[in-house]
Amino acid sequence: MTKTYAEINEKIKKGDAVVVTAEEMVKIVEEKGTKIAAEEIDVVTTGTFGPMCSSGAFLNFGHSDPPIKFEHLSLNDVKSYHGNAAVDCYIGCTRMADIRPFEYGGGHVIEELVSGKSVRLKGTSFTTDCYPLAEIDTEFTIDDLNQAILCNPRNAYQRYVCAVNSSDKTLYTYMGKLLPHFGNANYAGAGSLSPLSNDPEYETIGIGTRIFLGGGIGYIMGEGTQHSPSNRFGTIFVKGDLKQMKPEYLRGVTYEKYGTSMFVGIGIPIPILNEGLAKKTAISDEQLLTDVVDYGIPRRDRPKLRQVSYKELKGGFIKLNGKKIKCSSMSSLHGAHKVAETLKKWIQDGKFYLNPPAETLPMDTIFKPMRMSAEMKFVKDLKKNAEICYEDCDIKIVAEIIINKNTNHIVITDREHILKGIVTSFDITKAIAQDKSDLKDIITKKVITTSDNEPISNAARRMKINNISALPVIDDNKKVVGIITSEELM
Amino acid sequence: MTIINITLPFGMIKDLDDYSAIVNEILKHEISFNILKFSTSSSGITMLLDIPDEKIETITESLKKNNVIVNKKGRVIIDQEKCIDCGACTSLCPTDALSTDSEFKLVFSEEKCMGCLLCLDSCPRHAIEENF
Repeated sequence: MTKTYAEINEKIKKGDAVVVTAEEMVKIVEEKGTKIAAEEIDVVTTGTFGPMCSSGAFLNFGHSDPPIKFEHLSLNDVKSYHGNAAVDCYIGCTRMADIRPFEYGGGHVIEELVSGKSVRLKGTSFTTDCYPLAEIDTEFTIDDLNQAILCNPRNAYQRYVCAVNSSDKTLYTYMGKLLPHFGNANYAGAGSLSPLSNDPEYETIGIGTRIFLGGGIGYIMGEGTQHSPSNRFGTIFVKGDLKQMKPEYLRGVTYEKYGTSMFVGIGIPIPILNEGLAKKTAISDEQLLTDVVDYGIPRRDRPKLRQVSYKELKGGFIKLNGKKIKCSSMSSLHGAHKVAETLKKWIQDGKFYLNPPAETLPMDTIFKPMRMSAEMKFVKDLKKNAEICYEDCDIKIVAEIIINKNTNHIVITDREHILKGIVTSFDITKAIAQDKSDLKDIITKKVITTSDNEPISNAARRMKINNISALPVIDDNKKVVGIITSEELM
Repeated sequence: MTIINITLPFGMIKDLDDYSAIVNEILKHEISFNILKFSTSSSGITMLLDIPDEKIETITESLKKNNVIVNKKGRVIIDQEKCIDCGACTSLCPTDALSTDSEFKLVFSEEKCMGCLLCLDSCPRHAIEENF
């Protein structure tokens, strides 16, 4: 049996449409089977409410008198992009305020606008004959704007990974706070409620699809950036009238030591046009899998440790290496549920109709890595030979090596060249000042190290964070194979 | 119960008697308390103690007399207005004081919180604060 969009819309108009959420659909199909479910159910609503960094809004302020053509402008001290006509701008949610970065950003500005709060606009211009005003400092609310259009180039990831951290330090990432030694796990995505997971071949989703966006009505403009359908990481590009939206579904957020972003609520209605769609929308958390990825490795291709289902993730624990680790959702499952329920109510109340897309989302795009024209340098390319002393060496000999070899760092090892510590010229000076004569008393035993295949930029960042000027290079067995100092990085 | 953070500065404890003296100082007030955390570092010994509210003044006073550094410490509180129920904090909580209910709404149990404050910087909405 098949249905058309027109038939479904006719039922919505009469108030007869049967609408359920994607979570309810799982149970319905389980009980009645896909054939009956396809006959009975007209629309399945989906929802997600999570941090979506590729979000922002186009604003138009109208003209000042005398007119200004912005060269630079900021909203509540958050710089916004100005590369269009005189008084248009784009405020992006990850741009941080100049005066309180990591605390307030573009997402917060959008939340305040949608809440009806006043926002401060400061702008400057190089002035032209037609736009003579050089500077402006004013306050406005969303009602003062001609257009406020939420326009997000990448939203509603079909699924996302589950992040863990194998390193020995707490990491602060866009996937939240990750404790060392696999201390916790963070995941994102709404599982069985996830919009794109309910129609993974995009039979009903594409350009022009009317959706729930930020508490108002929005539209899909096409595939999102980094859309990667083959491995089920599809994304959508969306827009909608910010003036209709609600702060409840657009929230500015800050991730410690990462930066700002914005939670966006998105729901896509899936029309049950045929039995196939009934089957697709019945996908459960158990069937939806994602990868557990080690964010302890700071490279593009991070190791995938295992596959995990959203059922396991939503249970609050995942198993890894035989241990149970607590896991958190980065997106709000409660919010996702509310989005799907609200969209369901809109359709039931005859306030929201479904439409076929002008063109469905592509199934063949691939997500390529960045082309890097300059060759990446690794530690092995820049390291030099380490000056090595054994633990029982006389301090005087260490001091002589420092002078003769014109170096500041002596790596201390055992007879097999296994790393035991490091001594700097400063440590020697200090030893003399404090009358210490035993090398063992002045060795720094907890040494921060690097390895041959680490990119230079990562090693440099570690030196900067730890405020040190050299890293011994070690192999897998902790054997010293060189040293890299800040001098090589200059 | 109130949590206090006490530090016995490095060098203060040279032998077991020094340690006993301080413990006896607390015990003479005839109270029971919980040691939530015990750690040693180069600055000395640090302990998180959970102490009955009515005894807090006397104990703080007598500890300070013995050169112990006492800082009042908070459990956390959740600002429900700011919270968006993401649950990012839950995996950091070692005692399940922060968890989500069957509808994935955040639930906070004050009794379970031991003031480790691991969750404090995990909240994207700054909805978690230390409550002194």
